Amino acid sequence: MESVVVGDINSENDVILNVNKISVKRSGKQVLKDVDFKIKRGEFVGLVGPNGSGKSTLLLTILGELTSQQGSVSIYGLQPTSNRLYGKIGWVAQAASNLPKDIRITVRELVRLGTVNGKNMFRFSDGGRRKRVNKAIKMVGLEDEQYTDVARLSGGQRQRAVIARALASECEFILLDEPLVGIDREARNTLLKLLDNLCHEGGKTILMVSHDLAAMRQTAHRMIFLEQTIKFDGMSNEFPDLVKLAKLRGIGNVHSIYDMEEE
Amino acid sequence: MMGLGDAIMALVGPILEMIAPLMPGDIFPYFFSWDYFQRPLIAAVMVTIVAGILGCYLLIQHLALMGDGLAHVAFGGVAIGIVLGATAPVSYALVFSIAASILIHEMQYREMLTGDASIAIFLTGMLALGLVVLRLGGGAITTDIEAYLFGSLYMINESDLDLISFVCIGSVIVLAFIRNGLLACAIDPVSARVQGIPVRTIGLMFSVTTAAVVVVMVQVVGTLLVTALLVTPAATAQLISRSFRQCILWTQAFGFSSVILGIYFSAEYDTGGGSMIALVAAIIFAVVAISKVTINAFIKADDNLN
Repeated sequence: MESVVVGDINSENDVILNVNKISVKRSGKQVLKDVDFKIKRGEFVGLVGPNGSGKSTLLLTILGELTSQQGSVSIYGLQPTSNRLYGKIGWVAQAASNLPKDIRITVRELVRLGTVNGKNMFRFSDGGRRKRVNKAIKMVGLEDEQYTDVARLSGGQRQRAVIARALASECEFILLDEPLVGIDREARNTLLKLLDNLCHEGGKTILMVSHDLAAMRQTAHRMIFLEQTIKFDGMSNEFPDLVKLAKLRGIGNVHSIYDMEEE
Repeated sequence: MMGLGDAIMALVGPILEMIAPLMPGDIFPYFFSWDYFQRPLIAAVMVTIVAGILGCYLLIQHLALMGDGLAHVAFGGVAIGIVLGATAPVSYALVFSIAASILIHEMQYREMLTGDASIAIFLTGMLALGLVVLRLGGGAITTDIEAYLFGSLYMINESDLDLISFVCIGSVIVLAFIRNGLLACAIDPVSARVQGIPVRTIGLMFSVTTAAVVVVMVQVVGTLLVTALLVTPAATAQLISRSFRQCILWTQAFGFSSVILGIYFSAEYDTGGGSMIALVAAIIFAVVAISKVTINAFIKADDNLN
């Protein structure tokens, strides 16, 4: 299906991500088929879909961790593994897996890692990195917790710390994988507010994977429903209700979608 | 390596001699005043410093058993070296251990090998190979080989100290250079790559460094006790640290105490150096762990009262 372009149509230069008809197989199983969409600068795109629908695979393909058997991905017109992309993309991995609890590292140490790149990693001087760390910590509102061991943070705080790490790299395009998993309602709202601010005031482009349809409808500009292929791509306020969505998915049973939203 | 050990001896020796009279015990002061005994002391301290730093990075990557595995490979290399009649079987151990570490790293990178269990299988296989070659070559478990199993701290000679100094100083320099990138890769390799950190190269440098340090550790504490110096001080530090920096500093404190106390008790009670160091390290871990549990229990009890 055609992807829906949001906002006014400017030049092609505004396209940050171009996913061009990619098909991906993992361990012999077809996970993505003819997935095709573009993301423009300043968009906040929510990528939703049931478990095993290929959302994480899509993100990993965009990051260049996985390669597609067909089609191509380009970011800023470059291949995902191009070294000219270094520092432009921020990656926030899934909450459950991104930080093991048995390691000792403070929020500040974690965020500082975001400022490390291939060029400055050997240097001993701080070279202005302290400022970037302070700014990133302030942006996510963790000033009071900056010397706290990450393992002692709540789920929402930990997620914000990982986002701050991405921000410290001064990336323009942030990809998040299920940042809302395992955090309470209040923390969820704080996080969504933060992401909304990053997009509108910070000028960041965001692609976020989530199970949480309600949260995505409320925050993202645009939503993509993925289930091996793209079943819906359009403005969030046009996102189909459950009955229509079931039809799009080619199933009559509405309960499976309720189950999905509960997760 | 020419005379690096001697240079360090010349540098540290006079300081040790100066503090020798302050040292307790009947035999322990000789470790400060007599160069035959200064050598193992200096070797043990240098190895512990490097092992502690490596241990902190190994623990955050959940590779606590890596050192143990590489030590087994090193032992296999020593066995083969002895069968081939090498004058310095350690050089065989170095080659084997580094080759194995590169192989493991590449296999993990390609996701052919994951988890501790498969590392253990791969590495014990290399040890078995060494033992089989040893038997086929007509060798036997001699005192020479025993020295590599249980360590031969007090037999370290000038050329051993040269190698140990070279590996330790080289490793510290490498680790100092890659420390930022290494931590980033350990915490989240995907983010690290996206930021432009050469994840694979750093992983390789770390693996080779670990392998080299493990080989010189085999001489100090022996194959069976490598983990004691590599992981125990770092694991003790993790119990009480709140940050990675603290973790590194506490590891050095615990490692240093283990070496000094270990050598003291080993000298006074005439036991093996490596085993006593390992025992002291384990006791320090136990004391810290029990104190932590007890203190936490008291804090909880206090909270309940309030």
